[in-house]
Amino acid sequence: MKVPSPKSQVPGLRFGVGLLLLLAFTLFIAVLLGSEKLSFFELNEQQKAILFDIRLPRVLLGASVGASLAVAGASLQSLLRNPLAEPYLLGVSNGAALGTMLAFVFFANFEFARPVFAFLGASVATFAVYQMAKSRAGMNTERLVLSGVIVTTFLSSIIVLLTSLIDAAKLRSFTFWLLGDLSQATINGFYLTFAVAIVGTIVLSSQAKALNLMMIGERDAFDFGVEVEKVRLIIFTFAAALVGTSVAASGSVGYVGLIVPHLIRLAIGSDNRLVIPFSAISGAIFVVLADTVARVAIAPRELPVGAVTALIGAPMFIYLLRKN
Amino acid sequence: MKNFKLKYFVTTIWLIVFGLILAGCRIEIPKSDNLTNAPTREITDDLGRRVQIPAQIKRAVSLAPNLTEIVFSVGAGDKLVGVTSFCNYPQETQKIPKIGDTISPNIETIIALKPQIVLVSTSSQIENFTKTLDAQNIAYFVTNPQTLDDIYKSIHQIGDIVGKKEKADEIVGTLKKRVADVEARTNAADDVRVFMQFSKDSLFTIGKDSYMTDLINRAGGISVTKDVVTAYPQLSKETALALNPEAIILSDSEDNQSPNDAFKNSPAVKNNKIFKINADIISRPAPRIIDALEQIAKSLHPKSFE
Repeated sequence: MKVPSPKSQVPGLRFGVGLLLLLAFTLFIAVLLGSEKLSFFELNEQQKAILFDIRLPRVLLGASVGASLAVAGASLQSLLRNPLAEPYLLGVSNGAALGTMLAFVFFANFEFARPVFAFLGASVATFAVYQMAKSRAGMNTERLVLSGVIVTTFLSSIIVLLTSLIDAAKLRSFTFWLLGDLSQATINGFYLTFAVAIVGTIVLSSQAKALNLMMIGERDAFDFGVEVEKVRLIIFTFAAALVGTSVAASGSVGYVGLIVPHLIRLAIGSDNRLVIPFSAISGAIFVVLADTVARVAIAPRELPVGAVTALIGAPMFIYLLRKN
Repeated sequence: MKNFKLKYFVTTIWLIVFGLILAGCRIEIPKSDNLTNAPTREITDDLGRRVQIPAQIKRAVSLAPNLTEIVFSVGAGDKLVGVTSFCNYPQETQKIPKIGDTISPNIETIIALKPQIVLVSTSSQIENFTKTLDAQNIAYFVTNPQTLDDIYKSIHQIGDIVGKKEKADEIVGTLKKRVADVEARTNAADDVRVFMQFSKDSLFTIGKDSYMTDLINRAGGISVTKDVVTAYPQLSKETALALNPEAIILSDSEDNQSPNDAFKNSPAVKNNKIFKINADIISRPAPRIIDALEQIAKSLHPKSFE
């Protein structure tokens, strides 16, 4: 990964403006499309309700979730120096899912417990993967991917165990939610996810310079005066917060954190000062588009959005793995 | 050196695989003597399969609560040697050994019970174990009722299988009479537009292939999702909102105690036409489904039953 010279800031700016325009266009298209046709110039009460109570919160939540997951993915990839580090593949999403389920079982009436528990679950999973993957020789791709697989399957089995132990009806909706499902979007869920997405993107972007140096090597970064331990803690914490709130709102939407940062790096190189904020915008575009497909493809029925993102993401993962 | 070891390893694996294949060919799976001597007869199930079954059934296993209820209703509960953990009606089911639940029945337990026939509904993932049942020479009969008439047919066929044909005819006769009475009372009234909700948050409902669409129809209603493909689709919230149902039926379970927010301005919620129905009764295509029919009809058209 090459770190581009500051001169590339200007094309970066143009690229960013282009992405923002594309995001605006995508949001516009997504709001136009849905299982119900709306005539936008003369909306009756019911159509207003469809637009403002159902479609708009869902589109906006999708954008926030996409931004959060892409930023988490981009930062973890730079920190672990591995383009395959992705919240879903590392088991971080599953940790958040387990946390959400536990909150649902033990604090059913306290909705705010879900993102908090999701964050805790994501943090534990992140820490576990990191401890397993690092070795004296450093952290190679195989070790990281394998550790992710182990944590993912272990957490999955706990989730399955939970669903078998607890009354089936109570957790029935979870089976679909686990695949990543935006159909339960509410405007309140959006506010929290949006706030965390914005704060997370700003904080992680502020670590971009340190991450750039750490991509060369942690020892070199340390010599340049980077507080490696502190940066690592910040990245892990905010990545877990981003993934946690996203999962609590919409389940595990997979592969967003893999595809989006990869495409951004292909386009503008691997300077994290650009990759992280641009991943946020592109992640939003990607999930909003995927969810539009999920809403429209078999209308009036629905697909889980995670199925659509995985359909695009899994082949991409194989491609990246082979290229490595 | 490394290659040498690898070669040995691969050879060993091949030997083991080869040995297992050989062993697989040689071991003869002990077959139960169900079909070998006893006279058999042929029946056709809901998947269009022709099934050879023993002329006289003494031991049957049911893999779905509705099939268990049908067997008991025709008076052959004593022939059930295994039922699922979901089977909770009638009371006598408690004493029958459990073979797991409908979704993941335990094939070993089933074989150990030596049934002559296994009654299956399409809600089981039958592909997983039909091969094993075939190898064990255990017949299985698959039901997939999509209308009220299909439910009558299931009762007839299962009655026939367990040797209680007359009793099954009698039961179906009584059920038909009750349905005719409901239809006579609700015929004159206008159809009520009904939404059937199974879970509040993920908004599962009934589509055109569900017997409940027929049930609502006969109760003097019309399912607003009657044209949606498949039997139990997850419906888009926008569409649900646009459907504007006049009544909502809730299958009574813990995650389904009130209508989805999408319905908050619907006539159903505004006029408080929200009705709960016991989930076990509404979700089982068995004789008790007519109880559900009567309850729905009374809820939709209270005046017709005064």
